[in-house]
Amino acid sequence: MSGIVMVPAEAEAEILAELRRLRARVPQLTGVLAASADGLVLAQDTAATEAESVAALTAAALGVAQRLSDTTGQGGFRELLVRGEHGYVATYAAGDTAVLTLIAEPRANVGRLHLEARRSSLRIAELIDHTLGRRGPGAPA
Amino acid sequence: MANVELALKEATTVIEGAIGAALVDYTSGMALGTLGGGKDLDLTVAAAGNTDVVRAKVRTMEMLGLNDEIEDILITLGSQYHLIRLLRSRGSQGLFLYLALDKQRANLAMARHQLKKIEAELEV
Repeated sequence: MSGIVMVPAEAEAEILAELRRLRARVPQLTGVLAASADGLVLAQDTAATEAESVAALTAAALGVAQRLSDTTGQGGFRELLVRGEHGYVATYAAGDTAVLTLIAEPRANVGRLHLEARRSSLRIAELIDHTLGRRGPGAPA
Repeated sequence: MANVELALKEATTVIEGAIGAALVDYTSGMALGTLGGGKDLDLTVAAAGNTDVVRAKVRTMEMLGLNDEIEDILITLGSQYHLIRLLRSRGSQGLFLYLALDKQRANLAMARHQLKKIEAELEV
């Protein structure tokens, strides 16, 4: 995972719409955000205002998770699940340049969380790839 | 006493008309084990979805003030039966067995009886 993702406003709106759909499908979510692999918020839908710091921490966790996965021969990063005393934080790879991070209540249905988040991360990856593709070969990848 | 693999194997081989079976943790919605199903029935999706079914029924009973417990839940489709049986032995609370049956081939009374027996002998 490397590179800087810059998404234009219309792509940001589409990503945000995807995040809102995800929140509607998994009611136990308290926040969702899409971030670039280097820790910048692409779009977010969370009641709390800590999106920037969550995105930055996600990037740091991603770096460690990627190395852990590599070192143990598990290949590229796919997802990371943290269970705290008061709930879950889950991060899913959305293509090579972005991630999807969810914050959920402790009573969340993790099985459903995985199913819905994996689908959403694929869609977000497609939206980003589509945007980058449209901007031609000079675009960061 | 049977382990998870054995119980699922028994559920899908002994019970006539079985399509697939799963042991699901409904505190997380994730399956401890699955057997059968194939491409027509994704048991991971079934585990997550039926967790919502069980949770909804537990909540409804609380709201109704019914001081009781769920033994099993039957869902009848056009071509299938879906049986959900909650585990009740000590140490395996929060789990359910999920069994999908072909309606044409299954004997519902027998299937329910056999699943009860499998559940009683299952040790997680």
